Amino acid sequence: MSFLDSIAAGLSLVGNIEAFLALFVGVAIGVVGGAIPGMSATMAVALTLPFTFAMQPITGILLLLGVYKGGIFGGSIPAILIKTPGTPASSATILDGYPMAEKGEAGRALGMALWASCTADVISNLALILFAGWLASFALSFGPPEFFTLILFSLTIIAGVSGESLLRGALSALLGLLLATIGLDLVYGTNRFTFGDPNMMGGLNFIAVLIGLFAIPEILAMVWHPTAHVGKTRSLGKNWVSFADYRRSFKSIVRGSFIGVFLGSIPGIGAAPSAFLSYSEARRTSKNKENFGKGEIEGVAASEAGNNGVAGATLIPLLALGVPGDVITAIIIGAFMIHGLQPGPMMFILNVDIIYGLFIGLIVSSVFLFMIGSVAIRGFKYVADIPKRILIPAVLVLCIYGVFAVNNNIFDVGVMFAMGWVGYLMVRYHIPAAPFLIAFILGPLLEDNFRQSMLMSGSDPTILVRGPITWFFWTLTLLTIVAIARAGVRAVKNNPLLSGRSGP
Amino acid sequence: MTQRQVQLRLGGGALIVAAFLALFAIPQWVSSPSNVGNIVLSPLFWPYALAGFTGLTGLGLIFSGLQMQGTDEPVNDPIEDTGAAWLRLAAMAVLMGLTMFLLPRLGMVLTSMLVFVASAFLVRTRHPITAIVCAVIVPLVLYAFFAHVAGVAIPQGEFLRLP
Repeated sequence: MSFLDSIAAGLSLVGNIEAFLALFVGVAIGVVGGAIPGMSATMAVALTLPFTFAMQPITGILLLLGVYKGGIFGGSIPAILIKTPGTPASSATILDGYPMAEKGEAGRALGMALWASCTADVISNLALILFAGWLASFALSFGPPEFFTLILFSLTIIAGVSGESLLRGALSALLGLLLATIGLDLVYGTNRFTFGDPNMMGGLNFIAVLIGLFAIPEILAMVWHPTAHVGKTRSLGKNWVSFADYRRSFKSIVRGSFIGVFLGSIPGIGAAPSAFLSYSEARRTSKNKENFGKGEIEGVAASEAGNNGVAGATLIPLLALGVPGDVITAIIIGAFMIHGLQPGPMMFILNVDIIYGLFIGLIVSSVFLFMIGSVAIRGFKYVADIPKRILIPAVLVLCIYGVFAVNNNIFDVGVMFAMGWVGYLMVRYHIPAAPFLIAFILGPLLEDNFRQSMLMSGSDPTILVRGPITWFFWTLTLLTIVAIARAGVRAVKNNPLLSGRSGP
Repeated sequence: MTQRQVQLRLGGGALIVAAFLALFAIPQWVSSPSNVGNIVLSPLFWPYALAGFTGLTGLGLIFSGLQMQGTDEPVNDPIEDTGAAWLRLAAMAVLMGLTMFLLPRLGMVLTSMLVFVASAFLVRTRHPITAIVCAVIVPLVLYAFFAHVAGVAIPQGEFLRLP
């Protein structure tokens, strides 16, 4: 199928009001969800997921992608106006955004955040369109040993960079892998930790695990400390962003977008490091470097570009290799699975219309983001006024309905509650939840590819190093472990009191 | 709880989990056919391997925890009344248990209404009237969507039958 044929197939799938409406609504939900302090884009995507069950696959996935895109930008609104990042990735935006708000220039900062976000979003989407197909065609030559080493590498890097230490990330990933062993054995069909309960034979429901892990701990945190969220909203001020501001910051925006694309395409790194790296590069090269941290508009532009540049790029490993790069793409892979689709190289052959439909939707989402973002900036006051202690019970009820709706099974609601307590313990003990969830998703794939490799080779382990692709991933895995361990040891030497925060 | 305590407790916990899995849980709750020729292909291999790695990670956590210098800085933000916070958490656990008990009996709509009100008061809402109004509206709206748009068979319970 030629490129034009693929675009035509994609257009035929999304060229209807329903798909674009879902995308529009998704961006709106995401902006509002990201803008509510304590909600986060992740929670917004997780809570929207159950509403997609009744939709066409492409419509449901576009809705979720819209929430993702909107949520990443939405997080910058409270970061600037009340010094509380709506998403962890917006933390860098506070550095210059909040000082600008204090000077009465919140509207200008938010305007620049929006322009930088949309520009980075377009660049990131183009990178996705350019690289995903190429990577997928390369991955078509992968066999079970190559997939095993790829997944192992992905889990290693996700465990290493997601939290405060490699060991806690590894523990989280191992617990996720252990949880994934529940159910019938993939080869022999024997029971593993099912306790004779038919509800457990198919394994734990993915949606129940993810909502339990990411939404319920927020509720429990609110129960533990009901007044932790109170903040003061700044006014927008009279100044607005100008084209001259945009032109002055353009270089930082483009650089930040490429940093976002590069880091986003590596599983596990995510938006927060990208935003901080983009910010520090902008400060290093700017003519106004002494103004950074005191309310420099270029700082807002750089951090937002780094933050949003990740959004399209995280879909590259998801679509091309079937490996989710972060928690949100892990949720989106769940949406694919619910609709009977398996992201990965074969999807570029079997479901090319869906792939190109998504590409078209993503391009349009940047336009929607600009429109909705402009309105949301002015309407944030109303969003900030939603009482959190009414919102949280509503979220709990929504979780119960949403999880039940997956399989019409009350058992899943119990799994969600149990995973909620596990997630809350992980928060209290500073164990990152992302490696747990991604390992839970990739666990069966990892084991399956390992056992297939062993079956292929007659249990000869040398098949796992059979060619350049496996060597490449083994080398990357070892390099990742060495680099993270060295960084940890260096941090301990430099500051022994902080060793627990950055040590291995 | 300091960083050092967190690291040591996690290490100890990981070791206990690994030992429990290897010595009791896997032999007891993972079954394997007797004719599996190669251990690598056995359904037992993967859980044992993971238990082994969990034990190693636990040892690593304990070792790194022992390397840490002592500091009194707590890892979590302190709150005013810890006793009340624990009580609220315990009440939330009871509420979740009650939800599981009531869902098949009262149905999802009535149970959700009770859960909404109980949790709103548990987090000490300053808008009790709004909470009660929302407790009625939110479950009904969700019922309407999931039952009539998504086609989900929402449990109705013994006391209330909704269209």
